[in-house]
Amino acid sequence: MTPPPQGASTDRRTLLRLLGLGAAATAGGAALTGCSKEAGSSGSATRSDAIRAVLPAHRPADLLKPDIPGEGPIPDGYLGYPRQLVDAVTEQPGRGGGTIRSMSPWWGPTPPTLGNNSYLAAVNAKLGVDVSPSLQDGTTYADKLNAMLGARDVPDLLSVPNWEVDKVARFSDAVRALFEDLTDHLRGDAAAKYPYLAALPTGAWEYSVWGGRLAAVPFPTDGPFAWALFQRRDLVVKAGLAAPTSPAELHELGRELTDPAKGVWAFGSVFDMVQQFYGCQQTWRRKPGGGLEHKFENPAYRAALEFTAKLFADGLVHPDTVASKGADEKQLFKAGKIIMFQDGLGAWQGVQGEQSKVLPSFDMQPVPVFGASGGPAVIWGSEKPIFFTFLRKGLGADRVDELLRVLNWCAAPFGSREFELREYGVEGKHFTRAADGSPLPTDLGRKELGAQYTHIGGRVPVKVRSGDTPNFVRDYLDYYRKNIGLMEKDLFAGIKLELPANWSKLLQPTEDKIRDILRGRRPIGDLDGVAKEFLASGGEEGRAFFEKALADNGR
Amino acid sequence: MSAAPGTARRARPQAARPRSQPRARPRAGLRARLRRDWPLLAMTAPAAALLLVFHYLPTLGNVIAFQDYNPFVGDDPVEAFLHSEWIGFGNFEALFTDPLFWDAVRNTLTITAFQIVFFFPLPILLAILLHSLVSGRVRGFVQSVVYLPHFFSWVLVVTFFVQMLGGAGLLAQRMREAGLRPWDVMTNPDTFIVLVTAESVWKDVGWGAIVFLAALAAIDPHLYEAAAADGAGRWRRLWHITLPGLRPVIVLLLIMRLGDALSVGFEQFILQREAVGRDAAEVLDTFVYHQAIATQQWGLGAAAGLFKAVVGLILIVAANKLAHRLGEQGVYSRS
Repeated sequence: MTPPPQGASTDRRTLLRLLGLGAAATAGGAALTGCSKEAGSSGSATRSDAIRAVLPAHRPADLLKPDIPGEGPIPDGYLGYPRQLVDAVTEQPGRGGGTIRSMSPWWGPTPPTLGNNSYLAAVNAKLGVDVSPSLQDGTTYADKLNAMLGARDVPDLLSVPNWEVDKVARFSDAVRALFEDLTDHLRGDAAAKYPYLAALPTGAWEYSVWGGRLAAVPFPTDGPFAWALFQRRDLVVKAGLAAPTSPAELHELGRELTDPAKGVWAFGSVFDMVQQFYGCQQTWRRKPGGGLEHKFENPAYRAALEFTAKLFADGLVHPDTVASKGADEKQLFKAGKIIMFQDGLGAWQGVQGEQSKVLPSFDMQPVPVFGASGGPAVIWGSEKPIFFTFLRKGLGADRVDELLRVLNWCAAPFGSREFELREYGVEGKHFTRAADGSPLPTDLGRKELGAQYTHIGGRVPVKVRSGDTPNFVRDYLDYYRKNIGLMEKDLFAGIKLELPANWSKLLQPTEDKIRDILRGRRPIGDLDGVAKEFLASGGEEGRAFFEKALADNGR
Repeated sequence: MSAAPGTARRARPQAARPRSQPRARPRAGLRARLRRDWPLLAMTAPAAALLLVFHYLPTLGNVIAFQDYNPFVGDDPVEAFLHSEWIGFGNFEALFTDPLFWDAVRNTLTITAFQIVFFFPLPILLAILLHSLVSGRVRGFVQSVVYLPHFFSWVLVVTFFVQMLGGAGLLAQRMREAGLRPWDVMTNPDTFIVLVTAESVWKDVGWGAIVFLAALAAIDPHLYEAAAADGAGRWRRLWHITLPGLRPVIVLLLIMRLGDALSVGFEQFILQREAVGRDAAEVLDTFVYHQAIATQQWGLGAAAGLFKAVVGLILIVAANKLAHRLGEQGVYSRS
């Protein structure tokens, strides 16, 4: 239920992949003589018009009219919980097949597995077939995924976050070798057999096509922004401070809030949000005269880097963030040891709901977006689905049908009994009802639920008011409505880019150098050298690759 | 196996011959030996099978060091091996022409050298110290306490150090209370090598002492008694009895450590990489992770693995030769 920090990887990885462009040049320049040849694929881009022919015909299946209707990528909002639920699925999905193994990411303590988990037992009883989920830590999901794909040993249902897809070299080869082609099951009107899959937005399906074939069921995004800068508004207000409207004010706010003697520092990780305040692009931006500009060439990036490096230098960043890769900023934020940090918006409702029990005044809010040095901010985002669910290849048409029926059940919309069971578990056991009828998770619910069925099943995204987060839906949708105009359009939306394997080789080294500057181990002046080296050793090649992908698609 | 009773019986007629004659024992026929030794063979079979399946068979996978390996070609994993393109030494060239690779190798060797000097002797000292404790209960207690950290994962060890010595840790907060400027222990690239060694010592010094304690227990106590009767003091007994008694084990472990010179651990470094930066924290294993595993250049990773194995083998053989020259037994004996 805690949606993932999708931004955590998307933007950074995209940057990294681009940085990796240099490898091709380095390796190419080296003397590869005699019988030696260079390793790694050289990348490709699938044209977006090849995709439309295989998409399912869209059929909306909303059960309830939303209180705040969504717009574009912003989901519908519901301010009340329905008193009457309906049965969305009348026929049991299970067809007597064996246990379905699934794997999906989860950001939190691992719930008990099948056999020791009453939530799984309850849902499986409804499904009429056993699903045995394996939940893996979302932050290290790539490690499991790489090994699994490399060994060609995948479960029946595999959920893959979009940012991990970008990291897997030769992913389209993997799709062809390991996963079922769903085109014939879901193309056009065939999808009507699975009404809640057919109800998923067409935009999300567009991303689920590999090599011209429909290969996965998408999990549409519930809001396209990669990050927000979250603050403990209760603590900021208590200190009598106002929201910042400029970088200088943000720095000043940080200085006022930091109190090492009490173990309190103003900031956790914030660099990505600072870049957005300064109006810097996530990676590429179209130049007025044509062609693409990399963020390293934008003075805004340098200013953002300089500002953030100063936060580190002035001791306003929590030492745990400075000291270790695994700093648990969410915990420090909950405990009031960090006042501001960046996270995906998906983290919001879960943390607010959980902490409002511990501290009634707990108030997690995004810092209102402001622009630096007169210019407007930009927001990074993408309407890509958060996850893709793949079906293992070679299961046979009947089993594929059974799995799709299960996924269809898992995609049942808000207002249905299936939705409630999937999201909250069994009443009286995993949740109790607040006075307004909305479910309140119990401790058992928090322990046993880990989006085992949600993360594999698509679902049309909605935001629902819950008893422990009474203001959340309005706050969430307001933040989106206010800032959606600032979102920078994804130039490559709908183009499936497969970047050359060799490129990724420069990612880590360049990220290391930028981090050295951030942490004060190198002077800010080194940025020119880093940028130059990056462009010379492959960045220019990347520019050519991306410009060609745009030109091929007539953009 | 020659100690089996059956052997002795069959070998009896020749038993009187001098040892220098190698053909002292005629080999029994295969069937006869099988009949005689089958219980022993049956007992070793599972271990041999495990070795075969989990060590020798995967070793064949090293062929991908010479391939542009794509795990997704063909219909199954074996076909992926067969159908991936052969590129000769391309992966090795990419590796050896990469300055980042040599940075990582240099860091790794520096840390190994530093730890051989500052970490390797500590378990020996600890073992001698523990051995000299008279009270068995105190010794048992101390042993348990110093073994325990070995079973902690690196995540825990690093977290523990951050909580104790980090900028928001116990030490820093106490120093702030006392009006002092906290030390920068966890994020200083210059002293990183001392930090990782300290962490390793804290984690593994007790564990490392076990084998030395066993060696100490094997020293004949009569030697000490005799030496004491002859008037040898504590230090002379340590120098002339204890250390010579430990020497074969010390040499053995030192040689094995040299064979592992290019491995200094992985998690410990990847966890602290951001804190001190690549220049200080990049070791060979993290290099392989970032440049080969994370980017799925499996062939490159295999090439780095082979390089490590070859260097390790050369070091072990060389160190063993040297040990033989110095009259030690080494890892394996000469004859």
